[in-house]
Amino acid sequence: MLKRFSFLILILLSTRSFAEGIDVNLILKKVENNLEITSDIKANVILTQQKIEQGVKVLEMIYYRRDSDDSFLIVMSNPEAEKGNGYLRMGDNLWMYRRNTRTFQHINRDESIGGSDAKADDFEKRKLTETYEFAKDEKGKEIISEDKLGQIPVYKLEIKAKVNDVDYPKKIYWIRRDNFLPLKEESYSLSNTLMQTAYYLKYTIVDNRYVPVNQMFIDEFEKGNKTVVEISNISTKKIDNSIFTKAYLENLSK
Amino acid sequence: MNLILKISLRNLFRQKRRNVLLGIAIAFGVMILVIANSFANGITDVLLNKLVARIAGHVSIAFSEKSNFNSPIFRDKEKIFSVIKNNNEGVREVEENVGVFGRAIGNGKADTIIIVGIDLSKELSAETRKEIEESFRMIEGTFQDLSRKDVENPTIVSEEKAKYLKVKKGDIIRVRYTNLFGNDQAARLTIVGILKNDNVFMQGVIFAELGNLKKLMGFRPYEIGNISITMNDAPKNAVKLANKIHSQLKPDIAVIYGQLKYNGKIINVSTLGFKTDDESKKVLEKKIKVINGEIDKVSSKKNVLINKTLFDALGIKPGESFEIVYKNKFEDKETIVKYNLTAVFADDEMTDKNIVFLSEDKFYETYYDNLPEDPKKIKDAFYPKANSSLTDILATEWILLKRTSTTDELTKKYKDMGKGKWKATIVDVQTMYESASDVLKLEKALNLITISAVLVLFFIILIGVVNTLRMTIRERTREIGTIRAIGMQKNDVRNTFILETFFLTLFASFIGIASAFVVMRLLSTVTFNVTDNPMSILLVNSHLYFFPTFLGISSNVLFILIIAVVTAYFPARRAANLSPATALRHYE
Repeated sequence: MLKRFSFLILILLSTRSFAEGIDVNLILKKVENNLEITSDIKANVILTQQKIEQGVKVLEMIYYRRDSDDSFLIVMSNPEAEKGNGYLRMGDNLWMYRRNTRTFQHINRDESIGGSDAKADDFEKRKLTETYEFAKDEKGKEIISEDKLGQIPVYKLEIKAKVNDVDYPKKIYWIRRDNFLPLKEESYSLSNTLMQTAYYLKYTIVDNRYVPVNQMFIDEFEKGNKTVVEISNISTKKIDNSIFTKAYLENLSK
Repeated sequence: MNLILKISLRNLFRQKRRNVLLGIAIAFGVMILVIANSFANGITDVLLNKLVARIAGHVSIAFSEKSNFNSPIFRDKEKIFSVIKNNNEGVREVEENVGVFGRAIGNGKADTIIIVGIDLSKELSAETRKEIEESFRMIEGTFQDLSRKDVENPTIVSEEKAKYLKVKKGDIIRVRYTNLFGNDQAARLTIVGILKNDNVFMQGVIFAELGNLKKLMGFRPYEIGNISITMNDAPKNAVKLANKIHSQLKPDIAVIYGQLKYNGKIINVSTLGFKTDDESKKVLEKKIKVINGEIDKVSSKKNVLINKTLFDALGIKPGESFEIVYKNKFEDKETIVKYNLTAVFADDEMTDKNIVFLSEDKFYETYYDNLPEDPKKIKDAFYPKANSSLTDILATEWILLKRTSTTDELTKKYKDMGKGKWKATIVDVQTMYESASDVLKLEKALNLITISAVLVLFFIILIGVVNTLRMTIRERTREIGTIRAIGMQKNDVRNTFILETFFLTLFASFIGIASAFVVMRLLSTVTFNVTDNPMSILLVNSHLYFFPTFLGISSNVLFILIIAVVTAYFPARRAANLSPATALRHYE
């Protein structure tokens, strides 16, 4: 009887409450809510990519996003060779625009942006809870623990992909316990190899939501490669319909 | 006629030195023409048969799921193979073409690679085996080592790649690649062999056992990648076979037949997908009438509709959810999918069966990952009647692209395809004569350049022929007068001179052909170490490659003979037209 009772307690503990009475399944929701921006967004993005054999490459772009109809537009502004090129997503369609040839080409979500490691799907909205769920250990218990990242108390949790078309089928997050902001993220391949570590270095608050304005992605597979993403001039004003059109991109290069 | 032949041959040997010199000139021209022609044929043979055909086959069946060329997958291997099996006339090999780009890390060095799968379970024809052995010469290990079980993911790399990555046999290289579903994946590959390949474009290729690579890429045993078919007498058979396969790969309407579970009720249903391209949307909006549920548009991709028959049987309301359970064609398992009903529709054609109607986005989400049992084997499954307007708007098993016959048509087809976003798997049947017709154009261009250059050479040689003939005629003017006086006809005199030139050119051509073979043989023995040069693709085993053909050589000789005869005709006619009296009076 005692044994059965202990087992019941264990089950309840594992599924319902964790430290401070938090439902483990709510953690992902809270992370998602923290970062979810419901309005339109316009921002300047600088990608600084460092590769061992290629040196440093800096890409600057203007990024427009409207989630109500799954649209986004990226207009490259630097370097000169990329200036005026763009990536336009409208619903299911994703086009790459080349200024020199003035042509649009259909591309896939996993296509590189400006020859960098960033992919088109990094710029679209995809809810964490729609694509990932808590990973469980052999006992069926969610893999989550309390930890410290430097001096900051965090939850260390493991999630696994629910769908096929994600970059990494397994991720480990370090999430601040006080405000549920991710600080560190490790991404693993299907063969459980650590492929990338992301550090969320700085957040800013926009419309009561947090935006990671400084992120660093370290390539764990090919040591020495890293990408730093800096976001600035964030605006959440409504973006005009004319922005998410092919004509807008074409007019920019006139 | 025999007499004329005899006279012509006798005359040929009368002025030996002059004719030998002229013969050498003609033989030299023929030799150059044969060598150049064989080299051009060699380039085409290397590009077409040793490169394009080896990589993509004479006929290829290419797949692309969800408009993603990085997803070359077809979910029903046996279906495709049954079509090929029915059309195996002239087929030499059928191979599965699986490869993936990746980044390899060796000992402190990283480089881009292509991992290509080799099917070791298949018995190769002697011709294919010879081609492979010629192209990829093993320095260490054998191809059979790829099937070793005692090491992790055995692989064979080129000598150049091994040198660059600073690895040797027995070392492990780590590779990063994107699998079929876009997941960033990593694997450790053990080098079990090192090979030498002269083609600079093939040096980035590393080989793995096909089954192993497919597993790494995320294929399941019943799924297949692109297919390449090599054939005997490909120029004659390839297009015919491609057309046959294409006609038999026409897709049916895709149906998921299963059980719908709602509120304790279990009802057999056919789930269909509706297309969401602009044309289909228009037809759909006109055809399907919503009778329950508030939706803006029938064609919205968020919609999950059921027909009135099913609605009456279930008593479900829009907004409520239900489950569909269906048996998979493979793996002996069932798939459960959950949907929220958005509306109920009425349609005259879809009244006698229970139907769930989804946008193709939702439909294909489950259809491809968990392929249902063949609905044709199920009597109760819904199929639209022949010539039904529904057939144009219903999602099909796959989309079969139309056949093309030229590279331009093929390019246009892919360009048009790139304008849309396709949800279904795209299937394309093509031959290398359309995908690589530029290589054939290259051969024609090379031949044209060769013939133009040789024509200039022959023009110079034929001036010699004319000159020699004029000298001969001049020297034999009195002889012409004599034979004309004793009864030889004009035409016979003309033919004697023409035949003399003809035989001179013919004998010289034979010598030229023989010399060409000797020179080609000698040139083939020279080794060129140009592994880092793109021109190395034109070499075979680091040697120049000549491919003389009987047709090519005989047409060259015929061409030269015609030119020689035409050139000889006019001086010969002039000689024949001399009056016997004038000819006999001739004195120098």
